[in-house]
This record gives sequence, C-alpha cells and structure tokens, in this order.
Amino acid sequence: MNSESFDLPLPPEPPPKALRIGWLDWARNNLFNSVFNGTLTVILTAGMLLLILGVLRFVFSPDRRWEVMPPNAANYVVEAYPRDDLFNMWLSLWIIAALAGVSTASWGMGGQVSVIKVVAAVRAIGATALVVGVLSLWSPAGSATQTVLVWGGVVLFGLGAGAMRLVREEREVSVARVLAIVGALLVGLVWYMPLESGTTWPLTITALVVVAFHWVGKLVGQWLSAQLMKRVITVLWVLSFPVIYLHIQRNPSLVWAEVTPWLPWAGLLIAVGPVVIWVVSRAGREQAAGVNFLLGAVAIYSWVIQWPMAIRVLFLLLTLFSLATPTFAASPRARRAFYWTWLAGGLCTLYFFLMGIGSTDLATRGHFLGGINLTILLAVGGTALSFPLGVMLALGRTSSMPIFRILSIVYIEVVRGVPLITVLFFGDKVIPRFLPPGLDFAGEAKALLAITAFSAAYLAENVRGGLQAVSKGQTEASRALGMTTAQMTMLITLPQALRVVIPALVGQAIALFKDTSLVAIIGLADFLRVARDIVPNQPDSLGSILENLLLAALVYWIFAFSFSRASLRLEKRLGVGTR
Amino acid sequence: MDNGAANPIIVCENVKKWFGDFQALRGVTTSVAEGEVVVVIGPSGSGKSTFIRCINRLEQHQEGRIVVAGIELTSDVRNIERIRSEVGMVFQQFNLFPHLTVMQNITLAQVWVRKRSRSDAEERAMALLERVGIPEQAAKYPGQLSGGQQQRVAIARSLAMDPQIMLFDEPTSALDPEMIKEVLEVMQELAGTGMTIVAVTHEMGFAREVANRIVLFDEGQIVEEGPPSEFFANPRHPRTKMFLSQILSH
Amino acid sequence: MANRPSLASPTRPPLWRNATFLKWAAQIGVLFGVLALGSVLVGEAMANMRAQGLALDWDLLTDPPGIQLGEGIFIKPSTGLEAFYTGAVNMLRVALSGIVAATVVGVIVGIARLSSNWLASRLASVFVESFRNIPVLVQVVFWFFFASTFFPVLEEDSSGPIPGVLLVSRKGVSFAWPFPQETFWQWGAFLVAGLLTARWAYRTRMRRAEELGEDTRPGTWALLAFLAWAVVGWFAHPLAGAIGWLFMLLAASVGAIPVLAYQVILALISLYLGWRWINRFLDSRRSPAGLAKLTDDDYFRMILAGALGAGGAAVLMLLPAATEVGTNVVQYLLEFCDQKFEFLRSGAPLAIGTPSVDVPGRFPQIASTGLTMTPSFFGIWMGVTLYTASFIAEIVRGGILSVPKGQSEAGYALGLRRGQLLRMVILPQAFRVILPPLGNQYLNLSKNTSLGIAVAFPEMVQVGQTMFNQTGDTIQVILIWMAFYLSISLLISVLINYYNRRTQLVER
Repeated sequence: MNSESFDLPLPPEPPPKALRIGWLDWARNNLFNSVFNGTLTVILTAGMLLLILGVLRFVFSPDRRWEVMPPNAANYVVEAYPRDDLFNMWLSLWIIAALAGVSTASWGMGGQVSVIKVVAAVRAIGATALVVGVLSLWSPAGSATQTVLVWGGVVLFGLGAGAMRLVREEREVSVARVLAIVGALLVGLVWYMPLESGTTWPLTITALVVVAFHWVGKLVGQWLSAQLMKRVITVLWVLSFPVIYLHIQRNPSLVWAEVTPWLPWAGLLIAVGPVVIWVVSRAGREQAAGVNFLLGAVAIYSWVIQWPMAIRVLFLLLTLFSLATPTFAASPRARRAFYWTWLAGGLCTLYFFLMGIGSTDLATRGHFLGGINLTILLAVGGTALSFPLGVMLALGRTSSMPIFRILSIVYIEVVRGVPLITVLFFGDKVIPRFLPPGLDFAGEAKALLAITAFSAAYLAENVRGGLQAVSKGQTEASRALGMTTAQMTMLITLPQALRVVIPALVGQAIALFKDTSLVAIIGLADFLRVARDIVPNQPDSLGSILENLLLAALVYWIFAFSFSRASLRLEKRLGVGTR
Repeated sequence: MDNGAANPIIVCENVKKWFGDFQALRGVTTSVAEGEVVVVIGPSGSGKSTFIRCINRLEQHQEGRIVVAGIELTSDVRNIERIRSEVGMVFQQFNLFPHLTVMQNITLAQVWVRKRSRSDAEERAMALLERVGIPEQAAKYPGQLSGGQQQRVAIARSLAMDPQIMLFDEPTSALDPEMIKEVLEVMQELAGTGMTIVAVTHEMGFAREVANRIVLFDEGQIVEEGPPSEFFANPRHPRTKMFLSQILSH
Repeated sequence: MANRPSLASPTRPPLWRNATFLKWAAQIGVLFGVLALGSVLVGEAMANMRAQGLALDWDLLTDPPGIQLGEGIFIKPSTGLEAFYTGAVNMLRVALSGIVAATVVGVIVGIARLSSNWLASRLASVFVESFRNIPVLVQVVFWFFFASTFFPVLEEDSSGPIPGVLLVSRKGVSFAWPFPQETFWQWGAFLVAGLLTARWAYRTRMRRAEELGEDTRPGTWALLAFLAWAVVGWFAHPLAGAIGWLFMLLAASVGAIPVLAYQVILALISLYLGWRWINRFLDSRRSPAGLAKLTDDDYFRMILAGALGAGGAAVLMLLPAATEVGTNVVQYLLEFCDQKFEFLRSGAPLAIGTPSVDVPGRFPQIASTGLTMTPSFFGIWMGVTLYTASFIAEIVRGGILSVPKGQSEAGYALGLRRGQLLRMVILPQAFRVILPPLGNQYLNLSKNTSLGIAVAFPEMVQVGQTMFNQTGDTIQVILIWMAFYLSISLLISVLINYYNRRTQLVER
C-alpha cells in the first residue's frame, strides 16, 4: 500500500513556528493557563522558596556537624567488624564488583542515549547547584561548600549550555560510556574527600575491578553461548552471598576433629546420589514409589535419632531429588542434568556445613555483622529465603486440597495482620523459649528468620495474584498433553505466574529492604542503629543525631529509589500489563 | 439534497493539525450542508478520525477555521460548550458510563446540560430506546448488554441531547458482523429523518445507499469527494481507484 | 456387537493408586506433622518456662505492673489491663488521626500529580518519591528528634509562634482546642439528629433538582439544617438529658434477663449461620439442570461450615462465662451512656482551651489547657502520616488514570463541564479502583503505629515490651498483640469488603 507513489497535492509541512514554544509560552501554557493555576503557581513558588531557604539555613547552620561523617565511614558500613580484618570486607566488595562487571557485559547496558539528553542533564545539575548555592547565601555562615556550589554550578551550567549550542543534531552515546565517566568522577571525588585513611585505594580498586571484569565478561562471552553465560552468572550470584557471609566475612577456622567422624559418610551419600536417581528413573512406577518411601522413612528417622546435621540435611535433599526424578528426569538428557545438579548441590551443602561448623577466627565479642553490611544481608537473605516459602504458601492457598489451603490461609492472614515488629519480637524472645535451655541463635539469625517468615506471607499474596492471572486455557492445554499436576505447576503455571508478578516481587523486595531498619528496635546494629545510636553517642560526634538521621534517610532513599526505577524499566522491557 | 453548500452547517477552511512533528491534517477545506449525510473513508492513519474529532473539539486544530452551526471553534470555553451540545458523537468503543444504568446514561446529560426535568428526560430516553429497538434494557447496566446493544444505547444517548449534527467515529468497527447490521439500520433510519450526519466508516454498503457525498482521506487531506454513484462508478484520482479496488475486492 | 467391552463393574484401583485417598493421606499427614511439631515446641517452651519459674497464666493482666507510661489515660496503671487499655487508646489516637490526615494529604498530592500546572505536578512527584522511598522508621525517628532538639526550648514566658493558638517547643506542640464538657453528650444527641436531618434534606433537594431540572442547592440546605440543630441544641441540650432514662431502662433490662437466654439465642444464631452457609453453597452449585456433582473439597467445605456452626453453639452453651462477660460489657456501656445524660443538666457543651505554660517544679512544662502533641506523638504521627500519604497519592493517581480516556471524551461530547464530568463520571469509577488498595494503606498505617516503640510512645507494642521486660511473660504479651492487631485488621477488611461489594460494577 505504497501511497507515496500517488501525487497528492499537499506535502507535509513542519509545525508552525508558534508551536515550537519558547520558555515564555511554555510558562503561559504550563504555569498560568488559568486564574486558578496562576494563583497556585505563585503560592507554590513562594512556599517552595521558603522551604528551600529553611532547609538551607538548617544545612549550613554553624551548629550542624556534617564533619563527623567521613571519619565514621567504616562504622556506617561495617560497624564493629574488626579493623585488622577489613581486607575480608574489601574482598567481599570486590567479588560483588566483579560479578557486577561480568553481568553488565552479559546483560548489556541499556543501549544508547542521545547526547542532547546528557548535556541537558549536566546543564540541569549545574543550574540546580547554582540556584542552591545562591539561595544558601542567605543562611547564617558562609562556607567553602557554598563557594564550591556557586562556582561548580556556574561551570557546569556554562559547559552544558555551551555544549547544547554545539550538538544540535541527534547524536547518540552508549549508556555504558556515560556511566564510566560518572564512575571515574566519583573515584576522583574519593581521592578528594577526607575519608578514613586506607579506603581510597581499595575503593579505586573496586572501580577498576568493575571495568576489568566487564572486559573479562566480554571476552568470555565470545566463547560461551549467551544462554549458558547467563546461567553461569546467575549461579555465581546465588552462591556469592553465602560464600561472602559464611566464609569470607566470618573467617571460620575448621576443626578437623569435629568433622572427620561424618565427613566420609557425607561424601559417600553424595557419591551414591546419582545411582539412586538412575535406579528411580529406570524403575517402574511402584518400585520408584517404594524407593522413595524408604528414603523418606530414613530421612525422617535420621532426625529422630539425631545423626550429624549434615547427614540429615543431605538425606532430606536426596529424598526430594528422588521424589522429583520420575516426574522431571525421564529423558536421558534431563537425567544427566539431574546428576550434575545433585553433585553440585550436594557439594555446596557440604561446603557450607564445613564452614558453618567452624567457629569464627575474628577477634570480636561474637558479633561481627553490622552497619549497611547487615542491612544488605537481611534484605538479600530475607528476599532469597522467603521466595521458596512464599511460592509454597501461594501454591498451598490456590491448591484444591482443603487442609493445605486452610493452613496457608491461616499463616498468610495472621502474619499479614500483625506488624513486623511483633514478629521480630516473637523471633527474638519466643524462639529461645522453644529451644533447649542454654541454646540460642545469634540475634542476626533470629531476625533473618523473622523477616523471612514475615516477607513470605506478602510474597505469597503477590504470587497468588500471578497464579490467578494464568489463563484457564493454559492448565487445560497442559492437562490435554497428559502432564501431571506437579509437571503442570513447575513447567507451565508457575513460570508464567512469576513472570507476571516480577514487578510486584521487586516492589516487595524494596519494601523488605526498608523494613530491615526495624531490627534496630530489637537491638541489632544495622545501619539505622549506627546512625541513630552508635555514631551520635561517640564523644567526638555528640549532638549530630539529626545529621546522621538525614544521612540514613539519604542512603536508604538512594537504594530504594534506584531499585524502583530499575523495576519500572524492567516492567517496560517485559511488557507486563501490555500482554 | 444537492451537494451545493447552499445552507452549510459545518464549514472547514484549510484546517491543519500536528501531533508533535507529525502532520495529521494538511489543510482540509470542505463544508457540510444541513441535512446532508457525508461518509468519510480512507486508510488507517489518514487523518479521518482526527478530522471529525476536530469538529467538536475533542482535538484542537492549529491552523485554519472551523465553523459549526454558525459558531467558530476557538478556545473560548462558552463556544465549545455550545457546540458540543449541538453536536452528538458516537465512538468506536461506545464509551458508555459503566457505573450507570442505560436509563441513567441517557438522562445524565439531559438533566445536567439541557436542564430538563427528570421525568421529561426519562420520557425522552424511553422514546429513543424504543426508536433504537431496545426499550426492555433500560434498567440494565452497560456491562450486561451486547456490543450492538451498547452502541445503540450510545446513539440514543447522543440523540437525547437533540443535536443538529451527529458524528460517527467508526461506530461498527468494534462489533461482530450480525451486530453491525442492527447499528447500521439505526443510522439509516436516522439519515431518513433529515439529520446532518458525518460518519467515518468502512461499511461501503452503507456509504453507497445512504450517503449524499463520499469523502476519501489520505495523508491528512481530501483526495476526492463526490456523490456515491459517481465516486464508485468512475473515480477520478488513481489513489481512489486503488483504495476502492482494495476495499471492494473482498 | 459381540465383543463390546463390559461397562458393568469398573475395577476400583488399589488404595495406593487411588487419587482421592492419596490426596487426603498427604493432607492429613502434613496436618499431623504440623500439629506434632507445634506440640513438641509448646511442650519444650512449657518446660523451659517452668525451669525459669514462669507460668503460662494471665496474672499479668490483673497484677500491678509497676510501670510508668509516657502519656495516656493511665500514666501509672494499677493493673496490666489498664496498661494495655492505655496503649490501645494511644494507638487508636495515632491511627485514626493519621488516617484522616494521610487521606487528606494523599488525595491532594495525588490530584496535584495530575494537575496541568507543571510546578504542582512536579512538587507532588517530589513529595511522593521522597517519602515513600525512605523507611518509615527513619522518618518517625527523624521527626521525633527534630521536635525534641530543633524546636525552641520551653521558657516560662513562651507563647509560641501564634500566641494563644499555637505553642511550639521541645516539650511538644500545643494548640487551642474545643474540649468537650460534661454536657457534650447531650449536645451530641442534637448533632446526630442534625446529621440525619441534613442527609434527608440533601436527598430531598437532590430529587427535586432532578425533577425540576434546576439547581436547588442541596448542599446549602443540608448544611443549614445541620447548623439549625447545632444552634438550637447548644441552648436546648438540657432537654436531651432525658435520653439518659432510656439507657438506664436498657441497662436494667439487659441485666434482668438470665444469661442462659442469651446463650440459647446466640447458640441458635451460630447454628443458623452454619446451616445458611451450607444452603447458599448448595444453591451456588445448583444449575437449572440440577445439582452439580460435588467434589470432596465441596463436601469438606460444607462439613467444616457445619462443624464451625455447631462448635460455636457448643462453646456458647458450655461456657456461660464468655456470654456473661459479653453481657457485662454491654451493660457497662449502657450505664456509661446513662451517666453522660442527665435531665436539665446545663452548661456549655464545649469550652475552648488555649495553650499555656505551667511551672510545677524547677522546669517549665506545657500546661494541660490546650491539646498537646508530645514529641513522641509528633514523631510517630508525622512519620506514618507522610509515609502513608505518599502511597495514597499514588493510589489516587492510578485510580483516576485507570478510567479510560473514552469516558471523558464521551462526557465532553455530551456537553458536560469539567467539574460535572469529574463528579459524575470519573470519580465514581475511579473510586472503585482506589478503595481496596486504600483500605490496605489504612491497615498498613495502623500496623506502622507500632513503631511508636522507637520513640518511646506508649502504644500497644511499647506497653507490651515494658510489661514483659518486667514480668518475662513474652508469650502472653505476643498473644495479646496478635489478638489486638488481628481484630483491627479484620475490622478494616470487613469494612472495605462491604463497600467493595456495594460498589462493584455489574458485568455480564
């Protein structure tokens, strides 16, 4: 239908000049387009100016003690972690940085952005700095910061405005390059800021690690298929957090005498696993059920007679694998994947048990988690652990089996009906009541358990929404293909449901991140507690509580805001809601 | 009922409209006489919907003049309100108010815009529902009706305002084939009463039988217009020929 | 025809292949496992507590707790029950005033985000993005310390930014407030009558407006009707004191009927509810073709409903104490109302108190003449209000945007004005979308009041924690918390569901 070939009389014209509006017309259209809006604009401008002046007067008041922050940087981030062992923390950061670098190479960095947008952003930042700097001249004391703001603003605004005149046509630059420049500027800032000594080099190394591993990822990406690469990176991310928290930060010392009695048995169990899977997958329906029954009985019995914990867990794991085998590992290919998954999973379990049993080698009074480090552990750990529990609860609530349904509903509604702080108190005060006398978990572990239990109920409701959104045709089609209920759930319903609810799940993770601040109330040294109690009560930084709370607000805000923006982009890319 | 603009009720002069940098209308000049039935056809994206939405200012034109029933369309709020109550519009997606019953849908604007008493408005609504053939649905909600029934309620809702002009924006495009017929019958009956109608539609049968004039839009301009007999039998412009061959081939 | 397969006797599968049997075996197995785990844990807890000299009893409600609360009805409660009562009332004060304030702020900001005024919409989004991305606890703590360190120090001659109306200091924010007096309830009866009249007047005038097609000012009429009652009541309220006799009569009759009668009536209601649920369920499974085949799940639901009804009846009959407590509470409430009314008791129903400073000892304090927000109250109230308002704003915006564009186009095409369109077409439809998440936010706000513990505001959780720090009765306190918050959650969700059902769209 190429209508261009017809000679229509009227060619297209560019919009009339009056439509390309200058800023005066813009103001008339957007600020003063009616009497009401004009009045509103005047009132809001006045109110805003007063508010900004008040805030600036607060910020630049000579009473403010912003200078206490740089020397306390390590307190905010790791709190009581022994300063002699800080290398462990840097190593943790570098691992994350390396993974982030590889991920950027594999996932790509959002493509291109137009130069005009970047320049406009620079101009806007400059203008803001200039306005804030000028307004701050009305506040009590002049300071170096004000000078920096004013002159920095002038320079940035001038650069932006000048560049704006030069780049008129649509030129584009890759987002990665812009981010690299911003990162380089930040590293420069690190060298300029009066941070705690010994932090400039490690921070610089962190930036270098990101860049280096970005290239490593690109190189490896040429050899591996994109799909395999993504899978490997996902596994590395999943493993990285337990390795960091259980091994690197905890720095355990392994006592071989405690391990040797059961280690050979555990090894044997892992080695026998593939044989069991093979037998179960080749056997008939009833024989397989018999093997599974036997395994299940041994697994339960092992808890009753209290075999070593690692053996108990491995047996339970093997039972689960074996139960899943007839349904999911029928083909030779799937069976091979099952062998490898079992071996890898078993070895990882064993590794974490070995690390978990050894006591920490750090010279502390027992607790070494604190600050932002603890906040991140609770947020990431809570999200990861509550995910399987939440999915199980959601499946239970939508199940056709009434007792499962009732148990799930009661759990979900009770937990959603009470505030998180009561659940935290339950974990802190009531869990010890259930344990044999003298035994207690670490406060961090109890808080993690409570947060997980709490978050799972909310997550279950999100997943349930997704499960209900899967059309009935899908379940009918999978029934028609002869799938069992388990296969249908794992292969058809659940993947579709989870895809639909990804934005809701990210929202839930952000809410969880904010909620971790509540552990400050039960006495854990998370970031909020450091900012509220620990730093302002040090002799050198007395009277800096409002400053510290504002810092806390800013840091939480940056995390939560950037995650919610990322989630919005993800939502757009997945096209959720536009199906 | 000749084509001459003897008593024009809608006059458009060189109407232009842009969406950002895209020009949707490139200068449309035409007029519609009182009692005339004009059918606007054209490929999708040709600007025909934008054109009729400009007539009651659901879109603002940026250059040129539009005069409806002797009132020029400017940004004067009073003019816009007067024109809107003289011009009825029927949408592709019906746009009935889902929270109101059929009766309430038809009486709402009568009471609040035309300031009629409730009993008068209900009487008028019942008369119109009978005219469009669904008096028994008055107490139901739009969600309970079929698409064809909803569109007929929408027509009744517009007619209840006693408009001088009726605009139809692809009224049958969202309907199943057997429902298209019931809506077209209502429109045909309406044309018979001497109502001025401007309709965007792909129903060529309706255009051939009912229209006084057919207007072909492409790329934001009128390519060709004329009475249906002439328009279908010997189109002059090659664009028209191609459009007709595509649309009539099946 | 000869070798047609026989349909006579389908072979029953063996038990271990019978799907229904397996399903129930698994469920009962899991249920048994959960119960076993629970009983093991409870047993362990009981043993541990016995070893520590604690018992799982409810003495903490009746014993003197020996604690002091920051503010509230009982500052030095003489029983645990009084302490929890104070905490509950404090919590409700924050929750209710917070819900009102958050709704007002949230609706304004939400509409401002959609405003055609660029500045208003930008400021609104800055508001939303700032407050919803900072943990509410950080905000609560910040406002508390802001009030208690940044506000001016209270001096003997402090009179605040607006003398006689508003007094801001580190000891709290005190403002002028009309305090209800002894005769307030008598006047209140007139106000209720005024409200009913106003409602009636509004509806009548509205109907007239629709009949005549002219503006009959229903709002003005309603307001005038209400004001008339209020003004007349201000002087005539001693007459309304006669209502007291009605309450006295009711209280006496409630006490006169034996407990057994209430028990029987309530038990019958319980049985009836169970029976009605089963009946309705069967109706919903019935089609013109007859009763659909019931699954085992359906039978389970019916048996459960029946069992709950019968169980409720049995509990009511076997435990007269429960019913007795209920009637006592009702009787107490009626007697309480009775005291509030006294025929020909006179005096102004309201007296305006203004903020002032009092110097009881060495240091000036805010006198109780005005209504005072302590720094703790200020912190928790500001925190939960602004945090929730940012979410409500998003909900309002989403609700308005969820109404399709075609609706406003159709409204404009009919000649409706912007205000009319908003009131009659957009808002009624947006409201349906807004309501359920709004209820959720009210629930969240109520639960977030528990963060008062971080700023020493004596609400339920803070009182509970103070209690178990004294007595060690953690399990009891947590059960009390659960009962309290679950009832509030239940109440709010019942209200929301009720409104939701009333405003649902009718679909095919």
